[in-house]
Amino acid sequence: MKIVVASGKGGTGKSMLASSMSILFSKTSRVIACDCDVDAPNLGLWLGITEYDSKKKISTSEKAYINPEKCAECGECFEACKFGAIERTGGFSIDPLLCEGCGVCQLVCPADAIELNKVMNGEIRINETQLGFPLVSGQLYPGETGSGKIVQELRRKAEEFDHDFMILDSAAGIGCPVIASVTGCDFALLVTEPTPTGFTDLGRILEIVNHFQIPFGIVVNKWDINPTLSEKIESWGGERLLGKIPYDRKVVDSIVNLKPVVYSDTAVTSEISKIFEKLKVHNKNATSLRTL
Amino acid sequence: MKGRMIASTGGKGGTGKSTFAILLAIKLSNDGEKVVLCDCDVECPNDYLLLDEEILDPEPVYRELPELDEVKCEKCGLCSGVCKENAIFWVKEKFPLFFIELCSGCGACWITCPNDAIKPAEELAGESFVNKVNRTLWLVTGRSKPGIAETGPIVGEVKGRAMKLAEEVGADHLIVDTSPGTHCNVIQALLKCEKAYVVTEPTPLGAHDAGLILELLQKMQIPPEIVLNKADVGDKKPIEKIASGFGVSIILEIPYSDELVRAYSQGRLEDMVDLI
Repeated sequence: MKIVVASGKGGTGKSMLASSMSILFSKTSRVIACDCDVDAPNLGLWLGITEYDSKKKISTSEKAYINPEKCAECGECFEACKFGAIERTGGFSIDPLLCEGCGVCQLVCPADAIELNKVMNGEIRINETQLGFPLVSGQLYPGETGSGKIVQELRRKAEEFDHDFMILDSAAGIGCPVIASVTGCDFALLVTEPTPTGFTDLGRILEIVNHFQIPFGIVVNKWDINPTLSEKIESWGGERLLGKIPYDRKVVDSIVNLKPVVYSDTAVTSEISKIFEKLKVHNKNATSLRTL
Repeated sequence: MKGRMIASTGGKGGTGKSTFAILLAIKLSNDGEKVVLCDCDVECPNDYLLLDEEILDPEPVYRELPELDEVKCEKCGLCSGVCKENAIFWVKEKFPLFFIELCSGCGACWITCPNDAIKPAEELAGESFVNKVNRTLWLVTGRSKPGIAETGPIVGEVKGRAMKLAEEVGADHLIVDTSPGTHCNVIQALLKCEKAYVVTEPTPLGAHDAGLILELLQKMQIPPEIVLNKADVGDKKPIEKIASGFGVSIILEIPYSDELVRAYSQGRLEDMVDLI
């Protein structure tokens, strides 16, 4: 069973909830936690992890290089590049920040002057954790491209661990790394907050989740910062609503001390347990439906 | 463009990038400066909501996607071989299958096809909107079509439109509000900015992600300054450590306030402009 936590908007509480669900599921099942926010991976911190047992650099992208000695300065590559990655500075050169490694420049070059070289664009990190389940995390190096492919790679790594539940913490947004996180999951846990932006972005991520036809549940975080709007989201969610979590400054103390929220004495702990119980029921139903 | 282009970014989501960008835009505009604000978080654009504006009259953003002509296709599979995104699946004696959600629209397949069987077809990838918020403040919003993975090119296009508008109205400032993260959509938004405000929060999460965006800004040679939001909730030390490590100063601290949360929630950020 793969459960992805997503939200569209950033900072709504994805990693907080993903870390909590991982811990709660691990009490009775084998869990693997995946931090799929490879741009800004924070799931480890919510689990109290700052060091990793293993880190492996990986290459999921290439970058072009123009050999100035062979370049005939015809400009074909400059015209063909869709990413604006070719700079015209006297001759032609590649801006590595913009190069997506698609290889089009190489295909059009009549002088055979362009090479594609592999780049180490990120790493996969593993920590066995003191919590009874492993964490697989990824990092796209700042300035590199290919976040979706790093997510695919870390998911492949995660599959190597025996598990009943895989909890995937996705990035914010609805683009490439999020699509790579959501695809192939059995359930989406969507976290929102009662602000117009939170609600609108929930609608955006829902389009992705529905595109992949993934069953979903909704959690309203910090519901009491705007009870009126929260109520609106709750009734909109109907039976999809798995629960609501109040705002508590102690959650911040908990992360400052790198202590998982479910082990902290905060107002959110009991609400998270309720959400977990509902999620368990949902997944039990989903599993039995699948085996029918 | 004569005006200055500055960015509001931060790495982590939900730290207050949009809030700060809007407060800055309103403040400058209140001072009589002409400001164009460009919401480059095209996956989840929110600035219009925070300014209580409606976005109407979309201007389409297109991208090119491969379209197969099965009459011309000889099922050679060369297109599949050159696709670095693995978006073309091919088995012998079958037509290639295109997985559009993986396609970056780079054009490798139609350049390679020896039978001219693949042609670029324009497809809607997103939209942009322009709002005149007040006499001296314009908002340009970009929004991607859900399901489009590669949003960097949409950011590039929308930002280009904002730069053009800034030129036309003679803007003194173009403020670019980026999405969270550090990958291509953020890089596109940051390109050519003179300066970037890194909006973060005093937690280990904020510090960790601020470190990543500061690394990116260093590579891009864009000078940053840190804005510490919710400054009194948490622990400032990790941020101060990151800031001194990168030799960057914390130029502003915004305390947590219920009033700001309410103003955010109700599209009334203009009342909070004294915070910055």
